[in-house]
Amino acid sequence: MPITYPYFGSVTNVFEIIMNELGREDIIKPKKPSKKTALYGSRYSPEFVCTPFKITLGTFIESLENGATELAFGGSQGTCRLGYYWPIQKIILKKLGYDFKFIIFDWDDPIQSLKCFKNISNGCNLLQTIRALRIGWIKHRYIDLVDKLLRYYRAIELNKGITEAVAENAYQMIVETKGMKNIRKLDKQISHLFQNEVDIQKDLNPLKVAIVGEIYVVHEPILNLNIYKILNNLGVVCNTPNTVRKQSDIGQKLNPFIKMHYKLARETAKPYLPYNCGGCAQDSIGSTILCKKEGWDGMIHLYPFTCLPEIIARNIIPQISRKIDMPVLSLVVDELTGEVGYQTRIEAFTDLLERRRNKEK
Amino acid sequence: MKKVGLPRALLYYKFSELWITFFKVLGTEVIISPLTNKSIKENSIRIAPNEDCFSTKLYYGHVMFLKDKVDYLFIPRFGSKHKTNSGCPKFIGLSDVLKSMFPDLPEIINPYYSTAKAGHGKFHLFKLAFKIGLIFTKNPFRILHAISTAIISYKEHQKQIHLSEETLSNWENSNLILNPKLTNHKEEQPLKIALAAHSYILNDQIASLEIVKKLELLGIDIITSEQMPISIIEEQMNNLEFNLFFDFEREILGTIMYFLEQKTIDGIIHIIIFSCGPDSIAGEMAAYFSMENYPMHFLQLTFDELTGDAGLMTRLEAFVDMIRMEKRPIKAKMPVNII
Repeated sequence: MPITYPYFGSVTNVFEIIMNELGREDIIKPKKPSKKTALYGSRYSPEFVCTPFKITLGTFIESLENGATELAFGGSQGTCRLGYYWPIQKIILKKLGYDFKFIIFDWDDPIQSLKCFKNISNGCNLLQTIRALRIGWIKHRYIDLVDKLLRYYRAIELNKGITEAVAENAYQMIVETKGMKNIRKLDKQISHLFQNEVDIQKDLNPLKVAIVGEIYVVHEPILNLNIYKILNNLGVVCNTPNTVRKQSDIGQKLNPFIKMHYKLARETAKPYLPYNCGGCAQDSIGSTILCKKEGWDGMIHLYPFTCLPEIIARNIIPQISRKIDMPVLSLVVDELTGEVGYQTRIEAFTDLLERRRNKEK
Repeated sequence: MKKVGLPRALLYYKFSELWITFFKVLGTEVIISPLTNKSIKENSIRIAPNEDCFSTKLYYGHVMFLKDKVDYLFIPRFGSKHKTNSGCPKFIGLSDVLKSMFPDLPEIINPYYSTAKAGHGKFHLFKLAFKIGLIFTKNPFRILHAISTAIISYKEHQKQIHLSEETLSNWENSNLILNPKLTNHKEEQPLKIALAAHSYILNDQIASLEIVKKLELLGIDIITSEQMPISIIEEQMNNLEFNLFFDFEREILGTIMYFLEQKTIDGIIHIIIFSCGPDSIAGEMAAYFSMENYPMHFLQLTFDELTGDAGLMTRLEAFVDMIRMEKRPIKAKMPVNII
């Protein structure tokens, strides 16, 4: 029974890693979402549901056309709509006539999730399932590292295109490495790979911009219109502190010596939004303050149209930005966002940041 | 006497009796904003964030009406009152957004209560109420009296709003008419239609575009989703494959599912607010169930601040005409005499 999962930017590699570790060989890898995916998704979705729903629905339709019969997805009884995507998608896909089964794990219930992964594995017992998931979250840390280096080196590379090629190799390397001893070596291997293979322009002082916001938009290129590449092409270094590991990296979450960024952001956001409204609202607000402390020149806040928690954050951020003198650009995106207008706004923002920095000198 | 302002929007329509009684017995002067009128609506659209749903925008207008007339505003951060089901995330963030965007508002009393996410129970509710009471009086017995009176008053009010199963059954069998002042009805029995929407739409003339009055003029006897017996709603919700955890959406979807299944009335109208998150989910499910439970007349209307009055009236008239035409007996055709 071929299994598939939604596409999620570079995090898709992590899903593939977990499926491999669970012994599944009948994986149908989802195609990178294109304009056609967005078209399928929005045609069959409710009118003003959030855009990640539309894109994941489109991806599932394409995967079902390619022969998938099991769709793995997360669900929960949480505050925002994300937890209720799969019942609606099930109704829509059944109406369209597909024959399939949803495999749902509740990310708020670790025991149910564990049982769910054990059931879809190829004969793993409980310990092997835990081991598989652990390899998943450890390798995820290196995927995040590759993302960070890609978004740094691509801004200052001498030969256009080389950083992307190196990053592709790095992702492949991470997916294929076997054995914990080798996995632990990946940290140095990846850093050296980028240092040796990519020639950079020396003596540059590039601007640094952080991308913050709803997690799917921040990672998925079809929705953020490749914002990292746009910024890198303007010579601006960028990255996002927002990572899916805040849910999945049990190792770091339980480690008392490591404070993951999202925990710090939520604490920092307390004077402005003391209670969790679901989604990434508190993370976005806290990140505004943290990014200023960490020395970023500016911040771009991305969110999909009608995202409930992010609308709350979007209305509080301008006041914080004025108070701590941190330039923030809030951009709402959906599947119909025009590329040219989007690019113009980002270019204008970076121009303003450059002028601001020169003025301070 | 200190003045406490209650904006007449959103959760006011669910908990008004609880809050008004509590603050009155505490010895404060309770000032409630008027029913939404044109000036509040225009102010709302001007100052509220543009991506919020229409109901939240109206909330801003009500807050601005009360701003200079009160010492305190009561804007609770309501998370949930059930162990899994919770309200819209906007309710939790509303007071913080208002405080951030308009720093010159009077002091906001905004307790946080969430059974689902923070495990709050009756004792925590009692603690919160006591803490609020201490702002207005140092007399603990007065606070206790206020809390108990408020809860009794709230429970009484709930009993009055929700119909019993027997009353519902009588209405379905046309043994009783819910609206005593039905005018302009041509049939012996007025048509029966269920109107499913949020309480803060049904009770707000501007937000609902006076749909209740319009249906009354068309001679329709309506039942609203907030009148449905809770037992019936819960029974319908248990039929869902996955629990619908948006608390206030359950009564809307439950009403629709019940009447689609029973087919005891003439039609169902579902009002969806543009950009309401839970409504988009329930809207899709309702549309699906209506196709599975064919034939049952089902009309979905999407409202926002730009929806036109005339357009709405046309759609309602067309819907009602369609139902009436179906009910009319077909007259036998007289044969034409051919000479």
